[in-house]
Amino acid sequence: MSMKRRDEFDRRAWLAEQDLTHLEEVYLRGLMFLDRRFRLVDYLEVMEDMYYKINLQLPKSHTEQYNLDNKFWYWYPLYSLGLLTLLAYIVAAVTGALLGFYYAPSVAGDPADAYSQMLFIMGDLDFGFMLRSIHRWAAQFMVAAVFLHMLRVYFTGAYKEPRELNWIIGVILLVLTIGFGFTGYLLPWNQLSFWAGQIGIEMALTTPIIGEWVDELIFGGSEPGQPTLMRMYILHVFFLPFIVTALIAIHIGIVWMQGIAEPH
Amino acid sequence: MTDETDQTRTDGGGQPALPPDDKTPTWHERKARKDGLARLTYEYFERGRLEDQRLRQESDYIERDVLGFPTWPHETIRNLSIGSFFVGMIILLAATLPPHFGDEGDPSVTPEVILPDWYLYPAFGVLQLDPINPSLALLGGDKLVSDELYGVVATGVLVGVLVVYPFVNKGAARRPVEEPFWAAVGMVGLSFGFTISVLSIDQLVADRMTGMTAPLVFDLTFIAPVVIGVVTYAVLRAMREGYMYELNRRYYRLRPPR
Ligand code: HEM
Repeated sequence: MSMKRRDEFDRRAWLAEQDLTHLEEVYLRGLMFLDRRFRLVDYLEVMEDMYYKINLQLPKSHTEQYNLDNKFWYWYPLYSLGLLTLLAYIVAAVTGALLGFYYAPSVAGDPADAYSQMLFIMGDLDFGFMLRSIHRWAAQFMVAAVFLHMLRVYFTGAYKEPRELNWIIGVILLVLTIGFGFTGYLLPWNQLSFWAGQIGIEMALTTPIIGEWVDELIFGGSEPGQPTLMRMYILHVFFLPFIVTALIAIHIGIVWMQGIAEPH
Repeated sequence: MTDETDQTRTDGGGQPALPPDDKTPTWHERKARKDGLARLTYEYFERGRLEDQRLRQESDYIERDVLGFPTWPHETIRNLSIGSFFVGMIILLAATLPPHFGDEGDPSVTPEVILPDWYLYPAFGVLQLDPINPSLALLGGDKLVSDELYGVVATGVLVGVLVVYPFVNKGAARRPVEEPFWAAVGMVGLSFGFTISVLSIDQLVADRMTGMTAPLVFDLTFIAPVVIGVVTYAVLRAMREGYMYELNRRYYRLRPPR
């Protein structure tokens, strides 16, 4: 008995008896090469599964059946609002990270470091004013898109079973997005920042029982100052990005799992 | 030969790397080994699986390759085009309308107009609601809660309403025409969000628009949303009747009343 091991599934022989075009043969050889090394066949099922999941958005069966399409086509562009929110978030994140290289969350000095760094960014830094401008507009667009996205979900009834949890995650995202806006508004430490912070502090302080504690935790005092600025900065560049990014991932993951709500 | 023995060899020869099919524990065997909560979980999913299988066998529904709008190209092309337009808009606006930058924050100078970004106007407007903040005669007209607390509570209530909303409005209906009432509720909320934002800058509005006064803005804050809600309801009801009329007409043409 020969000790030479034989390939049970003789790929080469199989390939030889196929009548293939040149392109097909190159393709198959490449596939074989990869398959023998990575056992692609094991992942085939997973990939197939993913293919169907990806292609399972906006089921139209019902829509076709009741001929609702003619009443719905004008809604479709609004289904991209969630993605637009994400895009604005990404633009804001990139420009924000760049702005972070030059910003200093400190009220020391005269004018305060935070303020003078903003002046530096806008006046001296190459492309700095543009960077700040884009960051700001991206933030405005993100908030607007979140609101509109929520409205489209509301008016297409997409929050109903089984998507209640995603709606709730959405509400949390809405609040956090506004939190992004508020904490960011305070960072340049100009007049509007300062007095917006003052109002925030007053609102926190009036909450019964836990008011002072909340104020101390979030604003660090009864008047906007160094602790306030530092807290807003940490919230804006650490806590919120971390939480919001994770929640967006979960949110969109759930949309992927559940598919987009079918218009009825 | 050693290849014939049952021993697993580290060089990968002999025994196949995967256990042969007949040695793989079946679902039932795995289930039988478990008890308690794990057992319950297995049983639950097993039931669901069988149910699915049964339904699939009984149904005459034809499973199609693509059940909806395919991601590619429809969704993707749409999102790419709208998305690039959107990012382009951000950059264009950033270039043409750079943000304002005021004086340095100064605790000793209160600015005339304190305003947050536009999306906080609603929260800001709630702070202007003090005329209807309930006051108690018992307390000598003192307010029960301060205006700021009133603002905090109102915001909390709003978020709470949003959270419980999907559990209140149930059912399969999705189109606004199917549920004129809930669509009207949405329009009331939407327009109230708008009017209360205007209320937060009522002084500005009163100054800039002829015929507007701050009290008028205050009244409109509540009247306009109700009017818009009623109109929405009326329009959607009319549309629904229209659809029903079409359906009925087709129905009666097929089956004329005796
Ligand atoms: C950071 C904010 C958010 C991001 C990035 C985001 C992203 C998305 C995306 C990409 C989708 C897919 C469908 C579409 O684009 O319309 C989606 C769907 C959905 N979103 Fe959001 N969203 C956000 C905020 C919200 C908010 C504030 C709500 C509601 C309060 C919400 C509720 C939902 C629901 C219920 C769906 C499922 C809709 C369906 O299946 O038709 N989301 N979201």
